[in-house]
Amino acid sequence: MTATDTGERRRGSDARPLITDLIDEATVESIAQEAWVALVGEDEILVPLPGDAPVDPVSSWVDVVGPWTGSIVLTTGRRTAEELSRALLREASPEVLEEEDVVDAFGEIANVVGGNVKAALPGPSGLSLPEVGEAPAVRNPGDLCRIDVLWRGEPVSISVQGALPPLPTAP
Amino acid sequence: MRALVIDDSRAMRRIVSGILEGLGYETQQAGHGREGLDVLDGGWLPELVCVDWNMPVMDGLQFVSAVRSNPAWRSMTIMMVTSESEQTQIVKALAAGAHEYVIKPFTADAIRDKLALLGLLPQEASL
Repeated sequence: MTATDTGERRRGSDARPLITDLIDEATVESIAQEAWVALVGEDEILVPLPGDAPVDPVSSWVDVVGPWTGSIVLTTGRRTAEELSRALLREASPEVLEEEDVVDAFGEIANVVGGNVKAALPGPSGLSLPEVGEAPAVRNPGDLCRIDVLWRGEPVSISVQGALPPLPTAP
Repeated sequence: MRALVIDDSRAMRRIVSGILEGLGYETQQAGHGREGLDVLDGGWLPELVCVDWNMPVMDGLQFVSAVRSNPAWRSMTIMMVTSESEQTQIVKALAAGAHEYVIKPFTADAIRDKLALLGLLPQEASL
């Protein structure tokens, strides 16, 4: 008699959690609020309201690799990213902000938010160095936890998004 | 008192250095662990090192291990200042020889409190 591989066992071990099973919007917002107050300024509040799509968007993100694999992505308009960088640098902010200052400061905010999101997920996980540029694509809309907030009236979104496409569904 | 601040983010180096200078420290900065070791090799020996975890070239954990393997640097106090906040990572850093662990985001008061616990507040700041 020959055993038939039905794929049952493989599918079972391939099962991976979706971010919506692991973290909710309220937790992401709370992490972001804490990061903003500590890094950007004591009076800097994120208002949980969606705004219009940012003009000239720019993103910063870190990748998490572990039981859940994906990215924590901050997206806002370029001018807002510059303002955020100035706020972060405070009196150390140069008169003329260079692109590398924005990459450094906006990336560090993603690093801090991402590191604390990672701590709320099952581990152990690795955390990448921050990157700044065009946001990585959302591979699986079901593996996404996103908040939209306003900072100084400007839209900022924070996405915790899986890096892997959806698993094929059983027939 | 002297402090070496090691972080790949210039913004974060400025923030941490600013806090320490406000407490009376003389500071130097490095962009990764290897640069930090170069500062120490050059003879500028601080009482305190604040070091990030995730950095290019040489990360914070490798830096801590390198410092702890040199008997001449044993008296240095090392404080990890990082967004790595998993319990296993904290234990790993302390086991490698870090004395304290501060999770980003932090406040100036949090740094000051840790330094007070370590007995590393410059005299003028502890008044």
